[in-house]
Amino acid sequence: MELLSMAIAAILINNVVLTQFLGICPFLGVSKNSKSAVGMGLAVIFVIFGASLLTFALYKLVLVPFNIEYMQLISFILVIAAFVQFTEMFIKKYSASLYKSLGIYLPLITTNCVVLFVAQDNITQGYNLIETMVNSISVPAGFMLVLFLFSCLRERLDSADTTASWRGNPVALVVAALMALAFSGLAGIV
Amino acid sequence: MTSIVVAILVFVALGALFGVGFYLNQKTPKPKGCENLTADCEGCRITTCPHHPHSTEGEKENA
Repeated sequence: MELLSMAIAAILINNVVLTQFLGICPFLGVSKNSKSAVGMGLAVIFVIFGASLLTFALYKLVLVPFNIEYMQLISFILVIAAFVQFTEMFIKKYSASLYKSLGIYLPLITTNCVVLFVAQDNITQGYNLIETMVNSISVPAGFMLVLFLFSCLRERLDSADTTASWRGNPVALVVAALMALAFSGLAGIV
Repeated sequence: MTSIVVAILVFVALGALFGVGFYLNQKTPKPKGCENLTADCEGCRITTCPHHPHSTEGEKENA
């Protein structure tokens, strides 16, 4: 039950984009159409889950036993960057169809600060392995949900009669603010 | 003292891991039909990103 509450909170209430303002770059850049948004969202879920498990293991098995916790930030950045490289290479080599749908988004994820945030958050919150796994799926799932909803809204906005000076990113940011307000209304459910 | 040595080793090992991963990734050819995929990205402020419209415009001009 606690894990379910944690997942709902991460997806809806403490949504990483709308309450913590992380991952704004792909949120604005890859939300032009819903197909791209779903592809990006799936790639983010995969990378965050994998990178979080690796960083959790590195922290517990290497950094803590040798009292070098201060290496956390730099080592997590390197682990995430290396993980993305190996994942892209693996997908390139063994699954052309997967590369076609997800591979193009993988280099973008290296610069997505949500990945580093989740890896750091798992440690600072003192989560165990199960909690880390739940958090590492819930946070990017929240990212994907918001990205998908936002892309659907932007598709509608493209055909809307918007004033020239508001067209594009300005009106998209207003819509994002309204979405953040709407999501804040869910705060009492958990 | 030991912890400093381990910290340096960890940094070097992870850096080397990334370097090897980057090299192998660059060496691995893209699957057929995926050579010219674009991310359909409108562009943020990270102008060094290969998917930024400025980069692709530059490539088109060079071609």
